[in-house]
Amino acid sequence: MTPQVGRAREAATDSVAVHGRRTRDRGTVLEFDGLHKSYGDNHVLEGVGFTVAPGSMFGFCGSNGAGKTTTMRIAMGLARADAGEVRWRGRPLDEGMRRRIGYMPEERGLYPKMRVGEQLTYFARLHGMDAAAAARAAEEWSGRLGLAERRGDAVEKLSLGNQQRVQLAAALVSRPEVLILDEPFSGLDPVGVDALADALLEQCRAGVPVVFSSHQLDLVERLCDSVGILARGRMVASGTVEELRRREAGRVLRVVVPDAAPGWAAAVPGVRVVSEQGGDTLLELDEGTDDQAVLAAALRTGRVTHFAWRQATLVELFREAVADPAQRQVRQEVAA
Amino acid sequence: MSAPLSSVQMVRLVAAREISTRIRDRTFIASSVLMIVLILGVLVFQVVVNSGDDTQRVGVVGDPGQLGTAIEAQAEALDVGVEVVPFDTGESARAAVETEEVDAVLLDGTGSAPELVVGTPDATLEALVSGAVGSVALGEVLAGAGVDAADLPQVTVTSLDDDTAADGQRTAVAVVGVVVLYSLLILFAQFVAQGVVEEKSSRVVELLLATMRPWQLLAGKILGLGVLGLGQIAVIAAIGIGGALAFDVVELPGELVGTVLWLLFWFVLGYALFASLFAVAASLVSRQEDLGSVLTPASLVLVAGFIVAIQAASDPESTLAVVTSYVPGLSPMVMPVRQAAGDVALWEVAVAVLLMLVAIALVVRLGGRVYSGALLRTGGRTKLKEALRAGQA
Repeated sequence: MTPQVGRAREAATDSVAVHGRRTRDRGTVLEFDGLHKSYGDNHVLEGVGFTVAPGSMFGFCGSNGAGKTTTMRIAMGLARADAGEVRWRGRPLDEGMRRRIGYMPEERGLYPKMRVGEQLTYFARLHGMDAAAAARAAEEWSGRLGLAERRGDAVEKLSLGNQQRVQLAAALVSRPEVLILDEPFSGLDPVGVDALADALLEQCRAGVPVVFSSHQLDLVERLCDSVGILARGRMVASGTVEELRRREAGRVLRVVVPDAAPGWAAAVPGVRVVSEQGGDTLLELDEGTDDQAVLAAALRTGRVTHFAWRQATLVELFREAVADPAQRQVRQEVAA
Repeated sequence: MSAPLSSVQMVRLVAAREISTRIRDRTFIASSVLMIVLILGVLVFQVVVNSGDDTQRVGVVGDPGQLGTAIEAQAEALDVGVEVVPFDTGESARAAVETEEVDAVLLDGTGSAPELVVGTPDATLEALVSGAVGSVALGEVLAGAGVDAADLPQVTVTSLDDDTAADGQRTAVAVVGVVVLYSLLILFAQFVAQGVVEEKSSRVVELLLATMRPWQLLAGKILGLGVLGLGQIAVIAAIGIGGALAFDVVELPGELVGTVLWLLFWFVLGYALFASLFAVAASLVSRQEDLGSVLTPASLVLVAGFIVAIQAASDPESTLAVVTSYVPGLSPMVMPVRQAAGDVALWEVAVAVLLMLVAIALVVRLGGRVYSGALLRTGGRTKLKEALRAGQA
């Protein structure tokens, strides 16, 4: 993580607090509200909703086929929701407002034979810029994304990484008021990831709400003020990473007692063993079970070298959130 | 900095991109050059065939005077170009024939024993010169007898088939025009289809449709390439007419311009129909390789129209030509040939145009739905029915 990234995240946390309370000014947020969408019998979205405040970054996670792309496409008017709507500053998105959104589709797409500079100018113009402003913006963004020397080249002549940069420039060139990016980090090398992260954070600082989907959860955790986890067409969790942790907190306790007799923890009332490897155990405590009683029991079996509530990573939160309820049940039974 | 765009502005932006991209495209440049070379080739061929050994040079000893005028008058009547060259002496005139400086010399043309010395025997030339000599002699004899040659009865020619020559020329122009029109229809409708598939296969269409409606994209594409196509056919027509007049291949510039204007008019209608048809068909596939199969039905209509039109040139009043000149899709090629051949009432043209407009409206309406329904479906071939259902009218 670059120092810049860290600072930006801290700075942005303030606006998350506002977003978290969802009280202040509803008229400034990007709001996805109760989206439903089916293709025949296939219910892709079943009530997806979340809000993104200006100047905050929202990470959209979910397994393949969870409905992330469909949600974004509905926002861009590329698919029609059966129910629900997407609002920006209190008004449902219409064609005119969509031109103020910078969009990066999951399936990357540019005119392969068109030159980089001309292509960016064209997209800027489609978003409503006049010819001169569009040309300036195209030059500026191609320069900022390290494409200055490739302006005159056809896109198909560029490496995949550079094509990806052009794609990003196409999303940013019109100075959008909102950014919706589907898997923007996929296919980028680490340098590209940092460049993109910086660009997004900069937009964020300028007050642009940013929504992006990603499978790279470490990136989401690092960049995003809030996170939404989508599974089977529903939002199974959303909020700041901290909020999600708090929700999960008190669930898993790690106790390391190197000399403990195997199975010691299972004997403690109100405790379920998640895993046990040598003296290293992960435990889940029932509601009302006192963790100090567990510590006492552990101390009776030997020297305790580690005793702590575990900080779940986003990956673990994600696994937990998207797990099928039936599977979760099975896991618990196995553990018990 | 940014203002909301109207539909007109959106369509214009798309059209401008189509033009600026296509005008630098190699296929386009090559086809333009080829077409112009072809037209110039046809012209040069016509000139060569028509001219052959164009002007005959006939030498006359002494002052040609009345004889020269008579020879030129005869030449005009026989539609042969003749230049009269005066010589001082018989010897120098004979020498000129031997060196092929002139084709023939007339010795003692107004005397009692006129003699025509020729390089190679030429019946036309002989008849021409004898006629001239005869008429001059006759004029003199008559003048001697006190009769004015102008009092002799003159033959008036009445042609029952009014302007066969003119019709023939117009038909010839129409056939060349239809060949050009057909080639350009195929070419530009193909450009439209390729453009649609390019946007689909490169997935750039998703980015485009985030800023505009499908119909705006379709309209911009068709209009942009249409302007280019019309420009190209206009340039070819200008070169054709200019060249034809310069080389004297055809006369009647007024009629010629009329025929060409009609061709331009039918190009616009034909292009509107076929470009829409091709675009809609192309929207059903996602790869250039699959384009051929979906374009076949519409292409066959074009080819059929072309064949019938060529047929119609030789027999414009045949039932086939008359019927097909009303059929939308065929009419843009058959009707201009019939019009050039003459004998087409204005109402007939009006009916053909009307039917064509109805067909265009239908294609644009239904096709627009298919297009918008199929654009975002990638992978494999979209069924027409599915696209219709998914599309927004």
